[in-house]
Amino acid sequence: MEKIKQNPFVKKVGFNRIVLCCVLLLMYGLFCALTGGSFAGMNRIMSALNYAYFLGFLSLGVTFVIATGQIDFSIGPVMFCCALISGYTLTTHGISMPVAFLISILVGFAFGLFNGYLVAYWSVPSFITSMASMNIAKGLASVYTKTQSVSWPQAADPDNGWFRNLVRYNGVPVGLVILLVVAVVCAIILNKTRIGRYILCLGSNKEAVRLSGVDVKKWEMLAFIICGVLVGMGAIFYVSAYTTVQPGYGDQYNNEAIAGCVMGGTSMAGGLASISGTIIGVFIIALLQEGILALGFTKDYQLIITGVIVIVAVFSDVLARRRKN
Amino acid sequence: MGEVILEMKGIDKSFPGVHALDHVDLEIRKGEVLALMGENGAGKSTLMKVLTGIYTKDSGTITYEGKEVEFHSAREAQDNGVIIVHQELNMLGHLTVAQNIFIGREFKKGIKIDDKKMNEEAQKLFDRMNVDIDPRETMSKLTVGKQQMCEIAKAISHDAKIIIFDEPSAALTETEIEQLFKIIRDLRSQGMGIVYISHRMDEIKVITDRVTVMRDGTYVGTLITKDSTKDDIINMMVGRVIYEDPKEKNMTPPGAPVVLKVDHLNAGKMVQDVSFELHKGEILGFSGLMGAGRTETARALFGADPIDSGDIYINGKKVTIKSPQDAVKYGIGYLSEDRKRYGIVVQKSVAENTTMATLEKFMSGPFIDKKKENKIAQEYVEQLATKTPGTDQLVVNLSGGNQQKVVIAKWLTRDCDILIFDEPTRGIDVGAKNEIYKLMNQLAAEGKAIIMISSEMTEILRMSDRIVVMCEGKKTGELDISEATQENIMNMATREIE
Repeated sequence: MEKIKQNPFVKKVGFNRIVLCCVLLLMYGLFCALTGGSFAGMNRIMSALNYAYFLGFLSLGVTFVIATGQIDFSIGPVMFCCALISGYTLTTHGISMPVAFLISILVGFAFGLFNGYLVAYWSVPSFITSMASMNIAKGLASVYTKTQSVSWPQAADPDNGWFRNLVRYNGVPVGLVILLVVAVVCAIILNKTRIGRYILCLGSNKEAVRLSGVDVKKWEMLAFIICGVLVGMGAIFYVSAYTTVQPGYGDQYNNEAIAGCVMGGTSMAGGLASISGTIIGVFIIALLQEGILALGFTKDYQLIITGVIVIVAVFSDVLARRRKN
Repeated sequence: MGEVILEMKGIDKSFPGVHALDHVDLEIRKGEVLALMGENGAGKSTLMKVLTGIYTKDSGTITYEGKEVEFHSAREAQDNGVIIVHQELNMLGHLTVAQNIFIGREFKKGIKIDDKKMNEEAQKLFDRMNVDIDPRETMSKLTVGKQQMCEIAKAISHDAKIIIFDEPSAALTETEIEQLFKIIRDLRSQGMGIVYISHRMDEIKVITDRVTVMRDGTYVGTLITKDSTKDDIINMMVGRVIYEDPKEKNMTPPGAPVVLKVDHLNAGKMVQDVSFELHKGEILGFSGLMGAGRTETARALFGADPIDSGDIYINGKKVTIKSPQDAVKYGIGYLSEDRKRYGIVVQKSVAENTTMATLEKFMSGPFIDKKKENKIAQEYVEQLATKTPGTDQLVVNLSGGNQQKVVIAKWLTRDCDILIFDEPTRGIDVGAKNEIYKLMNQLAAEGKAIIMISSEMTEILRMSDRIVVMCEGKKTGELDISEATQENIMNMATREIE
């Protein structure tokens, strides 16, 4: 085992990520076998990818927050809030599609700013702020849309139907390309810029960073803002894939996004984060959800399984840290 | 004079790398108050922890009421009547006084807790002690002094034969101390053996019968209090031979400008009206006993804790320091006594820690120039002779001395003119210690101004050009190195507060 870990290739890619890729492939093989090959078709893969797009944005976002040692339980409902407010404005006030996108991102930004400000400047525990803003997001969206679900334009819509090409154009998974590009940008921010450096350092030892004369509050808030913006972008991909959004939902995606992130090797204690790990983790969650449906189980089983995954992933992170100490 | 109730003989205790107790003897007698004195790290607390079963001794014997005993837990010691009243009180603030006293052994009526009976029993204890506390009062509403009375009542209720007071007066007012002494005298007349740990010389004279002095983990001797003077006791506390050469004279160039002036600084309880000046190229030692307020002064000065009042001047100009950011902007660097918590990010690399305070200097556009970062970090690794396989090594893998060098590198990158070293060699082995000393002298020679907080007398005498002595949040003296001796520093550090 140690020998494998010391292999230069394995070291470069990361042992954890190689294991995750194997899990992903094994799961795919298992689902194909169990469904008698019907899972191997392009439809299932595309469907799983649709799920992976928006979840990927949420998971990338929450990776930044978890890297600081904080948590955000509002991402799912905030994503719905973004999609509902921008979608309702689009369908009732006839604004153009790019403006609707902008609104979605701005709503996400606003929630990130709100959460981040409370956590960084007022020292409110992120557990509490994000629980509260989860409810605020749900309530706000319901009030704004008068508790109606919002349907974004269909692909056939001559004016605005084009936006659905964001996920798929002539059979090409455009969404995948965009998600990967955004992931690369996130990785650059996390590993090559000051924001990322300070986010990781303050997740590791906030007091030491503060006593180095660094404005830790600003950087901590920025992590939440980055998360909010990514959630706003995630909303666009959600509606591009599914068009219809209902107020009052979105909670389950919190768990799934956090599961993807923690499975990918981001430590709940902060200070350690992996963007590529998060992306693989998201693919595993998306494939799992598609596979469970393909096997004929209901959505409820998927909730149970993601719940268990979160616990296992966090527990193994705790174990790894305990061994290190 | 009473008979011996407890005798500790040849107690030996080692921790990895530290010989904490070296064949220490102690004798506690019935109806007597014994003072236990010594500098920080002399081994007083360790000895008491061995006695009360918190630590296991390596060798030696404890004879209690004629039988050899060894307590395996604080609980076992307590059940046998050996009880320690800690400086930090272990009370549950939201419970009542009586509930606190009888916690873990509540009186019961069936399955219900019998609060009435507990209140009565607590009242009896207070009557016996002659203090006026309502057993039904919520604990958190009492003053610290009264809370301590409750702690004593709890000890008595355990049928204590020996009570150890660990710096009981630190948080008390004058009247509370008088009341405490009255209770201690009462307990003494009832035949209890009492151990009183304190740094306050005047209290020792008033309340104790004998004084046992410890130094560097060894037993020095025991004096009869009324036959000895403060100087006798201090001589026993500090009478060690200083192996490393103390500094002979102030090395600061004459006429060196004042770079930092602190004027009547107040910050919380631990920093009261502290004023001093720091010159370019000078090492200013801060000496004092535990809890003297030296670290608190440094933290306030650095903006890590809020300042209540007072002025700070840097290079003659008045400045406002509200956060470490401000302090760093004015060229102050702080090297904490607790490196792992406040100094370094252990899970990050040497390079990342080196550039922590100066990252903006290592940017090319929006990106961190890692090549430049590693180059500069490598330069400091070489300059400070930091032992590390490379600049990408995680700091957690380095030894204490090398971690300290990484922190020094962090502030040197920042080009700080004022460096505050808080216990610069704590947890660092002897060889690395000398390197840190050499480095500090070199920095001072280059014109940096250094504040060095140290609890080690040898370190203070070896490194400082001038020495500020603090005691209980106040500055109690200032000495030039040429006039400083262990005795007069200790005298100031234990000065009675008027």
